[in-house]
Amino acid sequence: MNARIFALIVAILGMLVASGIPASNGRGAPLPTLSIISPTPNEVIGNGTPVAIVFAVTNFNLTDPGNGTSSPNSGHIDVFVDDALTAQTSVNTIVLPLPSGPHTIRLRLVTDNGSALNPDVTASVSVMVTGGPDSGTPGLSIVFPRGGALVGTDSTLSFQVTNFVLVAPGGPAGVPNDGHIQVYLDNASYAELTDDAPLHLNLKDGPHNVTLQLVDNQGGPLSPDVTASLYITVQALLGRVTPFDATPYLALANLLIGLGILAAIYRKLEVR
Amino acid sequence: MARSPKCSASCRAAMLVLSVLLGTFLLAVPSPSVAAAGPSLAILAPANDQVIDNGTPVILSFAVANFWLVQPGRVGQVSNPGEGHVDLYIDGAYSRLLTRVEPVSLPLGSGPHTIRLQLIQDNGTPLSPDIYASVRIVATHGPAVGTPTITIVSPKPGPTIAHDVYFAVEVTNFTLVDSYGQPNAPNEGHIQLFLNGVLNQEPRAYDLAFIVDMPDGNSTVTARLVNNDNTPLSPDVSASVTIRIQGAADPTASEQVTGGVSLILALILLVLLLRRRKAARRVAPPKGEPEDRP
Repeated sequence: MNARIFALIVAILGMLVASGIPASNGRGAPLPTLSIISPTPNEVIGNGTPVAIVFAVTNFNLTDPGNGTSSPNSGHIDVFVDDALTAQTSVNTIVLPLPSGPHTIRLRLVTDNGSALNPDVTASVSVMVTGGPDSGTPGLSIVFPRGGALVGTDSTLSFQVTNFVLVAPGGPAGVPNDGHIQVYLDNASYAELTDDAPLHLNLKDGPHNVTLQLVDNQGGPLSPDVTASLYITVQALLGRVTPFDATPYLALANLLIGLGILAAIYRKLEVR
Repeated sequence: MARSPKCSASCRAAMLVLSVLLGTFLLAVPSPSVAAAGPSLAILAPANDQVIDNGTPVILSFAVANFWLVQPGRVGQVSNPGEGHVDLYIDGAYSRLLTRVEPVSLPLGSGPHTIRLQLIQDNGTPLSPDIYASVRIVATHGPAVGTPTITIVSPKPGPTIAHDVYFAVEVTNFTLVDSYGQPNAPNEGHIQLFLNGVLNQEPRAYDLAFIVDMPDGNSTVTARLVNNDNTPLSPDVSASVTIRIQGAADPTASEQVTGGVSLILALILLVLLLRRRKAARRVAPPKGEPEDRP
């Protein structure tokens, strides 16, 4: 009797094992994972180049969206940029052109019908995209005129910028190596430069101080501050050849001749 | 004589069996050359030291042999030395994970770059020995070939009355870009403008240059093509124009009017003096006659 019961129990256990019930929860296939290999967190993507996102999955078969296979261990990746669904991919690299500024890229494993796995499998990374270079110290120098130069009323100021890209103000804050130039004339704000065209100055006679300062998209100075300054002296009609003007001398001559005419008329009347 | 056909049949059967066995053996034993062929990787394009011109992305083409490209991390994947993927590095920085042999578009900034591909096993480790291929290229916004030239098309040499002058240049085989410290690249850069030998300005790419308040007299303006780091090209490429700024008109209008008035007044005075002299002659007595008339 005991042997029969034992055999029955063994048979039931065998059927359970064969049916896979214990295996599904106990020693089943590992859950899918997802990780972003590149870019690294808070990486700066320079020169406005598109961001290449490289990711790795485990225990998940990547299949082209819409191929009809329905399995919890196969599907594709939904790509979210700043919480907006931007793309889908079934290969391990996706390239995204992104505007300047900070961005958060989130990847999610989804099945072929677009539903998220259970539990949800995601990975995210934050990057900073800049139109400027991703490294290097910004520099600014004035190439013309030289410090202390004597210039005319109208003059141009030419400058060079290195490791920094000039863009229109108002963009996102905190973007490295891009921004614009704030111009100060005699310590007062004078202009904002968003490209490297020479600055046209129209100044009164006398000494002046011109300062250029690299600022970020919000108008704040860089850290450390990057400026270039020079003193110039303005003199009207500089370099002009002034012709000899005989008008005052001719006017004096007119006066004398007039007096002579009067004298001649008076003497004539006297003679008569 | 009667046994000879039998012998012949058995010999043929034996030869047939031997042939089958030999063929089976030859099929079963792989040739030494096939057995020795391991995974290989080659970059088909671009060529080494190729100049990628006009700011176009680099189209990277490669070939893989004796190595299956598969997606890493598949369900139930078992590491196999004959399969894996390709890692792509640009200038030493990890850039792409490739699982398909198809052209890859790489937008690269100006300057020299090194592109490197490496075969990687499913477990993420390189093969042993390492299988990789690399290529050096130079990216530029300019053309790959041709000699740069520059010509000043405006103003023409000669006199002009304006002190503020626009300068227009024409450039061939060279692409103008705004300089911000990017690496040098062939046939790419900007213009420097010199006024009488002194650097005056760097106009924005494809903008007219504008020099204001130029001095009277002859001035020579030189436009020179320079690299992104402001060094001149080799050989130097520049063009010059000499213009003569004419000063204010001489004499001025007021001076002319005043001078004209002086002339008229002088004539009036002269006439008066002459008439006075004539009148005095009429009044004066002839010679030898007494001055007092009756």
